[in-house]
Amino acid sequence: MSADVQVLGEIAARFAALSLVAIGGINAILPEIHRVVVDVEGWMTSAEFADLFALAQLAPGPNAMVVALVGWKVAGVAGALVATIATCGPSSVACYIAWQWADRLRESKMRAVAQRALAPIAIGLILASGYTLARGADRSPGAFALTLIAAVALAWTRVNPVWVLLVAGVAGLAGLA
Amino acid sequence: MPAADSAIASPLAHVSRAALFASFLKMGLLGFGGVLPWARRVIVDERRWLGDREFAELIGLCQVLPGPNIVNFSVIIGARTHGPQGSLIALTGILFVPVGVMLLIAVFYASVAHEAVTRNAIAGASAAAAGLILGTAMRLLMHTRPPLRGLLAGGAAFVAVGVLQWPLLWVIPALIVVAVAAEWRASR
Repeated sequence: MSADVQVLGEIAARFAALSLVAIGGINAILPEIHRVVVDVEGWMTSAEFADLFALAQLAPGPNAMVVALVGWKVAGVAGALVATIATCGPSSVACYIAWQWADRLRESKMRAVAQRALAPIAIGLILASGYTLARGADRSPGAFALTLIAAVALAWTRVNPVWVLLVAGVAGLAGLA
Repeated sequence: MPAADSAIASPLAHVSRAALFASFLKMGLLGFGGVLPWARRVIVDERRWLGDREFAELIGLCQVLPGPNIVNFSVIIGARTHGPQGSLIALTGILFVPVGVMLLIAVFYASVAHEAVTRNAIAGASAAAAGLILGTAMRLLMHTRPPLRGLLAGGAAFVAVGVLQWPLLWVIPALIVVAVAAEWRASR
């Protein structure tokens, strides 16, 4: 029991420390999470970590849920909860405070200028996330084709994204990925 | 005063707690391979709480703040409707309920993980999931149509972070300073 509490405390401290440096989202801190849980703590193998990441991608919900799966793997349901709150808690509080501050600047010209400047950078970073994911997922020409088809379908049609994933899953079953 | 009025006139001021929870739960439970495509679809297309440009700008703000972008997005949209309580409602719908669902899937997956069938299906779906994120970027690009200075800033962010994998902590503040300066000059 005390060992469990110790592991939970370890998860909380490790993940909370990363929360405030997760600039740009969960993908920014995934390599660091991998280093901690695989290399430093030895909680799982690198292959198990990769499996959890794929599973989190496949399950519905934010990509950040991968930290809940890592916590679950280490310390069950309590581990999942602690990992999620530790990763998202500090940054959420910081976000809430930053938003209130930003809201007071609503009338300033600088805010409008800053937001116009930020939007294209955001698009560049979303593109970078997709590119990073694609490099992990596209290990065959078939997988590359599925990525391309999904991108075109989302950008130029109104097709439901869930169907794109289900069809791609079936294509994978057929050995195309 | 007109600028301040836009906050009051925003549809977000009239969103009920139930509608807030339902929307974020929908994004969470339908957000396979990332919630961003669904966030845009639900918030911009279906509910019309934000326009495309406003959505892109808010995502931009969320990306420069620490933490998962979609979690920050939920905190802010929730806060704009019902303060801290709204943030918690949005987070419960988009994060905590999906985490519960995912753990059920994980338990099942653990029992079939070694099957070739499972691995093949996951390979196909994760390839498409990457494509959906790329498609979202394309769509935002087409809808917001940034000027050349914006395309340069966005292109630099993509190359530095995606291709060169430079540390975000250095790249993003530097890019923001340059982009804001360029935008400030252009707005005068």
